[in-house]
Amino acid sequence: MNIDRLIYIMVFMPMAGALLSYLTGRKSKHGRDVVVRLIAILEFVCSVLLILNMPGAEGSLVTVPGVCGMGLHFTVDGFRAIYGGIAAFMWMMTSVFSEEYFAHYRNRNRYYLFQLITLGATEAIFLSADLYTTFVFFEVMSMASYVWVAQDERKESLRAGATYLAVAVIGGLVMLMGLFLLYHQAGTLQISELYEACQGKNVYVAAGCLFVGFGAKAGAFPLHIWLPKAHPVAPAPASALLSGILTKTGIFGILVISCQILLHDAKWGAFVLVIGVITMFAGAFLAVFSVDFKRTLACSSVSQIGFILVGIGMQGLLAEENALAVRGTFLHMVNHSLFKLVLFMVAGVIFMNVHKLNLNEIRGFGRKKPLLAFIYLMGALGIGGVPLWSGYVSKTLLHESIVEYIHGLEAGTFAAGIFLVEDMKIFEWIFLISGGLTIAYMCKLFVAVFVEKNSDEKVQEAYDAKKNYMNPASTIALSVSAVLFPIMGSLPGMTMNRLADMSQSFMGLAYAGHEVHYFTWTNLKGSVISIAIGVAVYFLIVRTWMMKRQEDGVKVYVNKWSHYLDLEDYIYRPILLKLIPGICGFVCMILDHITDMLAKLLPIAGNVQAGFFDTISDGLIVFLRKTIYKDSPQAMELEEGNEVTHAFGTFLNKLENLLNQTIWRNHPHKKDFEHYFVLKYDAFKENTAMITRSLSYGLLLFSLGLCATLIYLLVAAMS
Amino acid sequence: MSHSVIILLAIFVPILWGLGLLVKPEFKNRKTLVAVAGAGLVATAVLSMAVIVSGKMELMLFSLGENMNIFFRVDNVGRMFALIVTIVWVLAGFYAFEYMKHEKEEKRYFGFYMMVFGVLLALTFAGSMVTYYLFYEMMTLLSVPLVLHSKTREAIMGGLKYLFYSLFGAYMVLFGIYFLNKYASTLDFQAGGALDMSAVAGNEGLLLIVAFSMILGFGVKAGMFPLHAWLPTAHPVAPAPASAVMSGIIVKMGVLGMLRVVYFMFGADFLQGTWVQKAWMVLALITVFMGSMLAYREKVLKKRLAYSTVSQISYILFGMALLQPEALTGSLLHVVFHAVIKSTLFMCAGAIIYKTGKTNVLEVKGIGKEMPVTIWCYTFASLALIGIPPASGFISKWYLAIGSLDSEIHVFSWLGPVVLLISALLTAGYLLPITIKGFLPGADYDYDSLKKKEPVKMMVIPLVVLAALAILLGVFPNPLTDFISEIVNSVL
Repeated sequence: MNIDRLIYIMVFMPMAGALLSYLTGRKSKHGRDVVVRLIAILEFVCSVLLILNMPGAEGSLVTVPGVCGMGLHFTVDGFRAIYGGIAAFMWMMTSVFSEEYFAHYRNRNRYYLFQLITLGATEAIFLSADLYTTFVFFEVMSMASYVWVAQDERKESLRAGATYLAVAVIGGLVMLMGLFLLYHQAGTLQISELYEACQGKNVYVAAGCLFVGFGAKAGAFPLHIWLPKAHPVAPAPASALLSGILTKTGIFGILVISCQILLHDAKWGAFVLVIGVITMFAGAFLAVFSVDFKRTLACSSVSQIGFILVGIGMQGLLAEENALAVRGTFLHMVNHSLFKLVLFMVAGVIFMNVHKLNLNEIRGFGRKKPLLAFIYLMGALGIGGVPLWSGYVSKTLLHESIVEYIHGLEAGTFAAGIFLVEDMKIFEWIFLISGGLTIAYMCKLFVAVFVEKNSDEKVQEAYDAKKNYMNPASTIALSVSAVLFPIMGSLPGMTMNRLADMSQSFMGLAYAGHEVHYFTWTNLKGSVISIAIGVAVYFLIVRTWMMKRQEDGVKVYVNKWSHYLDLEDYIYRPILLKLIPGICGFVCMILDHITDMLAKLLPIAGNVQAGFFDTISDGLIVFLRKTIYKDSPQAMELEEGNEVTHAFGTFLNKLENLLNQTIWRNHPHKKDFEHYFVLKYDAFKENTAMITRSLSYGLLLFSLGLCATLIYLLVAAMS
Repeated sequence: MSHSVIILLAIFVPILWGLGLLVKPEFKNRKTLVAVAGAGLVATAVLSMAVIVSGKMELMLFSLGENMNIFFRVDNVGRMFALIVTIVWVLAGFYAFEYMKHEKEEKRYFGFYMMVFGVLLALTFAGSMVTYYLFYEMMTLLSVPLVLHSKTREAIMGGLKYLFYSLFGAYMVLFGIYFLNKYASTLDFQAGGALDMSAVAGNEGLLLIVAFSMILGFGVKAGMFPLHAWLPTAHPVAPAPASAVMSGIIVKMGVLGMLRVVYFMFGADFLQGTWVQKAWMVLALITVFMGSMLAYREKVLKKRLAYSTVSQISYILFGMALLQPEALTGSLLHVVFHAVIKSTLFMCAGAIIYKTGKTNVLEVKGIGKEMPVTIWCYTFASLALIGIPPASGFISKWYLAIGSLDSEIHVFSWLGPVVLLISALLTAGYLLPITIKGFLPGADYDYDSLKKKEPVKMMVIPLVVLAALAILLGVFPNPLTDFISEIVNSVL
């Protein structure tokens, strides 16, 4: 089958299958489970076919033109094919396990819908040939996998889901900024062309933005916060995928930055190394404190991602000589994916039987269950880096790469750059201590679940009585995954070296690298130191300081980790949800209302201003009237009437007098005409004053004036 | 000339149809009203599609005086805008046939709705500044009744606020037109600008002020800070289908006005590197951030969406202000995408109100279980608006950001994308909680009392069509992008 068609099937079949499973699920739950398993198995078969068909087709570009503008581009090489295969393998195993695990869950249709969409998106990320395609499917994956975390809809789940989504969205946006910058500077996003296109350009800002985005998904410090929150609440199969595969998509992105854009860049390598060292130690440290089975595993994931980042950092520092780092990085990725698959499924078995994860409550569950103990031990010994298990191989390679750099610095083959020999020795010790802490927390889980008895004897009896704790399908899924580790670990030459050979070209390593003899004393030494540290920590700290004897004499695990040290609750959430929205929101509210406020303020201001000037002018008039324009002090003798009224009135009075004495002698008239005329005259005077003072009078005069003007103009025009 | 009469038909058939609805006495039964209005919508859609399909043509109607032609010219910009107007207007119209059942005086609503449809088509086909201004004012006046439809106190105050803001903006535009009449060789739109450079020489400062005033004037309708305040007041009080078209379409006429003024009257070269460009970018970026932030803090769903419109329209304005081909492409893409997305979102909000009466985002717990199709549409539209690939908003933001970086304008080239991304984060913060609460109501949700409340098909189908467009336009954007690139190449 040709490569194009395989890739299309691997990317788009699960997405179509998601819809199919949803529609089937509305009719029959069982049919849906069958569909989901079939699709996962088919996907795995395709991925195997892809690996088999790959030789000769490496690097060929498969394009889906026009989709999302730029088109989607896929390609295949050893790294991509193997990781596509691991993803498909994990999906297959978890799907097999899921049916039993989810038997009593609600909304399973929804879970499977998003599970299969995520599968397609994850395969697309690993097979993507340009960062544009990577980004498109990265976002699809982030959004779809949110549903996993929040699946059971408990309060903690929804909160953890919100954290997961927030980290995903913020990471995605920062990554997008990085892509903008990179595309602007390099003019291409084709992964294989990026190295050439970025030569001689300062792409550190772009690379930094991309690192934040991919690092958030990978769980690098300080954006690891979603892992310890999301895993304990997510269903176990989902945790296995989140931790085993989804974090690796982040690592894939970081590898693209470190092995394509900034290949063999010492400064970049140093940066990644520091982040890696912090992540590695912080994760392991947190895991030792944890008293929750899945939280321990989640913190452990953070720590292991730190180991991988250390490897990536060492690739940059070692530059051309980085064979050990390259191979170690890749093998540790593979190992960690598989370890977490097994360990989270063990957690799932515990949870589906007792619905608890607290170490004090599940204590003793694993007693008299040798198969489960065996499966857990394989994973634990593997992740602890114990010789003969696969984790030892990858950790040794990583450790040796640090040692090689130290030797190189001492011998002068590497120019002393950012780090001195002393710094590197400190890093080496942190590496070994982190490895020791891994042993310690794995011991803590093992002893608690499989060795100790529960403090409550009745509970212990119930636990012991559970014989059918998982069905045959789950048993097969777990056992098959678990036996891989000792096989890979005891025959590294046949298994792990081959994987590394196939994948190393992706990381810019052309030559085969010298043969590493894993089981010599020099190489074993690191592992032995780690194991010694682990045992010491377990007995001196975990068994003493981290346990408390209760009143009834039973020792219980206590969480010594202060909740005030929670980055999310005490720094990120307050800043992002309270402080910034508070301040910015206040400023924006002012901006929002500024126009309306102005619109309201203007009339008010107008009124105030008018009132102000009114008061001033009124005051001025009063002031003037009381000073220079003062009324004259002597009382004015009001004159009544005038000469005409006086004369006329006197005349009429005399006439009246005359008539009274003559004609009207019998009915004399008694009227004072002089007074009468004075009254008439006053009324007239008042009316005149009223008219002259009125507006209409003014207008009348004005129009008269206009008329006069008009007449004048007419006359002037006529003459 | 003969076949270009169809432009007039497309414009005046709906206007007269609406007028007829308004003057006709009340219908006896509701079905007749729906049938008449529906027939009008379909007829107009057919006519407008006929115009859009038949390609470039011109029609000179009459002249108000020298240089003041009432003149229509169908160009690619007009065709694009007309297509969006038609699609959204018809779908929102059909949605309204169901939604308006719970409002009174439907006849008035559909009467004005039809008239505004005609006016909008006239705006998209307008060939000169005077024509544009004329129909722009008409649009404002005719759309006020849609806002104050419910005649509550808030609705009337909201309607008046909309009216006064719009009139203020329109006068600033008119002020500009007086000057353009003097300094432009013609008031007809010309790709690349119509300034008469010999007349402009020496008066550049004045013309920049004029340009700024016209940008601010159209910025009122487009909800650009500082004259955006009508949007969050007017949208929530209008009936949901009216808010959908207000947000989806009517605000875009402000955008179209700016596009015409900047790229068809002044010309991009005239504004390149001037203080007007910088001030425009600053205002647009402030609006982008402010709108998202306020939407994030707002609890009333429709008001939240209105603030979101304020923010999203300024994405478009920022892209236009960059005067750069890629950015302008992104900007025009966002015109299309936002029209589709925001109408979907408002119609979903309407469906929620219609079926449950819930308006507050805190009350929507479990809504996705009650009306799954509606909330799925809401979710797809939300993802598109945030810009999650492969949904549509991502494509426009990609072009905007790349254009911004390529413009190499000091500071703004990188500040723009940063603000856009912060705003995208806030967009996720204000849209997704409804989906999450809707579909993941919590373990204590009472499934037994769950009742399906999915609205009838008449409401759901427009939603599904628009939501599908919001996604599909993002997955297969190339035909649209090519069409827009052609426009961009003609003006830049």
